[in-house]
Amino acid sequence: MSQIRFNLPVKLSLLALLCLGSIGAALTFGPVNISPQQLVACFSTTCETPVIDMVVFQVRVPRILVGLVAGMGLAIAGAILQNTTRNPLADPYLFGIVSGAGLGATIASITLANMLTLALPLAAFLGALFAVIIVVLIAKALQRMEQLLLAGIAVSFMLSSISQFLLYLGEPFATNRVMFWLMGSLARVELENFYVISAVLFFALAVITAFHRHIDALLLGDESAASLGVNADKLRLIMLALCAALTATIVAYCGGIGFVGLMIPHIVRQILGVTTIPLILGSMLIGGTFILWVDVIARTALENAEIPIGIITSATGSIFFLLIMYRTRKN
Amino acid sequence: MILFKAVTVKISLVITLAVTLLASPCLVAKSQEVKHGENKPLPKIIALAPHIVEMLYDVGAGAQIIATTDFADYPEQAKNIPSIGNYIRLQLEKVIALQPDLIIAWQSGNPSDDLARLSQLGFKVVYSEPKTFSDIAKELRHFADLSGHSEQGRQVADEFLKQLGDIQDRYRDKQPISTFYELWSRPLTTIARGSWPQQHLNICRAENPFEQVSSPYPQVNIEQVLKTPIRLIIQPLSVNQKDKEGFNWQNWPTIKAVSENNIITPDADALHRMTRRSLLALDKLCSDIDKVRRSYLSGI
Repeated sequence: MSQIRFNLPVKLSLLALLCLGSIGAALTFGPVNISPQQLVACFSTTCETPVIDMVVFQVRVPRILVGLVAGMGLAIAGAILQNTTRNPLADPYLFGIVSGAGLGATIASITLANMLTLALPLAAFLGALFAVIIVVLIAKALQRMEQLLLAGIAVSFMLSSISQFLLYLGEPFATNRVMFWLMGSLARVELENFYVISAVLFFALAVITAFHRHIDALLLGDESAASLGVNADKLRLIMLALCAALTATIVAYCGGIGFVGLMIPHIVRQILGVTTIPLILGSMLIGGTFILWVDVIARTALENAEIPIGIITSATGSIFFLLIMYRTRKN
Repeated sequence: MILFKAVTVKISLVITLAVTLLASPCLVAKSQEVKHGENKPLPKIIALAPHIVEMLYDVGAGAQIIATTDFADYPEQAKNIPSIGNYIRLQLEKVIALQPDLIIAWQSGNPSDDLARLSQLGFKVVYSEPKTFSDIAKELRHFADLSGHSEQGRQVADEFLKQLGDIQDRYRDKQPISTFYELWSRPLTTIARGSWPQQHLNICRAENPFEQVSSPYPQVNIEQVLKTPIRLIIQPLSVNQKDKEGFNWQNWPTIKAVSENNIITPDADALHRMTRRSLLALDKLCSDIDKVRRSYLSGI
């Protein structure tokens, strides 16, 4: 334990360095060739040409910043949900958030096709929140908050079927729009999106920091937590609402980016342990770095096209998960 | 993910339709070097759909296209135009690097968020959204004006409308014939009002029993087909759908069209394409339908 405490600052510093290095490196990747020297010129004086200026400051910087906070947000949402529900499979997406966002996006795509730029993220956000509210209401009606996950899966199927029915009746290109939107992308993001996600992320961090001892107490079990004066159901509800708001904001701007919330906390636990503060800090740094590199692959792997980011996170996430399972079996 | 699995069929249908609508080889258009005003250079254009590329070649602006999206393969020269994306995503960095004077986008077929971003970055974006044959003529004129080829555009559009009028006149008073249009075989999918091929049937005086269904591309049960007096089955087949097998109608000989062998298989690529060439496919389709109609009428 003392070794972990001694190593923690060093490990976090290394992860922070990795994250900062990744930000710098990610700036150099893209379909337009921009050398490190040209990049340095952009940030120190002025860009060599107006085209480079536009590519760097209008395309790459917003993408990298939004990718960073989106990765951080999804990873800490997963970490908090896993700790508060004591379920290693808990993931923000299992609470119907993506299905809700998909329903919102479907309604916007069918009814507001001419103003999708504004309508789609807003409708997706409202849809995601709607899903979580339904999940919580069902779990409360059952008076069993530990059944949140099962309620989430049921609501997820229900909302998906409504989306499918609407898409079936709607114009065919709406199906395309919603499907590809759900695959996730950072291509559409702007700097304003970074500010919004960051604000929600900082608020979530503040609340988590305030409650971190309570969350740690939950790891000991509901009865032990109650003996320490923690109201487990209330705490779960607060954390779920927080994670829902955070994930819904990210999904609204970036679409569906699966597996980050599930995978990253598992990696962090291996490196930094299970208690809330190290877990959150580590999840932020590794989650942010992970999405930065996934986005680099998304925009450079194919010569003339982009790969939706959710495809890469799901592919890498599932392989990673199988490896973890294999390793656990060997141990 | 649940949504993904369940609508896979519809997605593949839409993608295939979109590709076949726009991806087949067609007539050769001439490109001209025309000056846009006295000293003003002709605008550099990014054309974000194969049918837009084809229209620009039709009006003589093909040489001004500096980039396009995947599947723009007509005319032959179009295959050499660099691609900067597809129907899912555009590479904004490449668009910025190319500095086009004009971007012509397909409103329903290009990613709307990318187009909004390009407008926001100061690029001039105009939209193509042909829904009818007359829209094709309108867009030919519009794109010709924008690209500095007004005269050629007007000529091509007028000629197009004249040919369309001739075809409409030829079949206007023909007796309707009950027809099933097989857009896709698994699941069995047809067309209804609001779909592109429905106007072909209307012009050719082929009556679609599913025209009033609310979805433009409804899936239907074979039982629904069996209870309608179908005299003709149209089963368009595409060269891009190598693995597609048409619905096996021979299993259903109680359908009049099957027992009388009135099944026609037009070229889906030509039929579904929203360009000047679609008139050739329309003419051929109407002629084929009319042959069936005449044989049916002569047998009464």
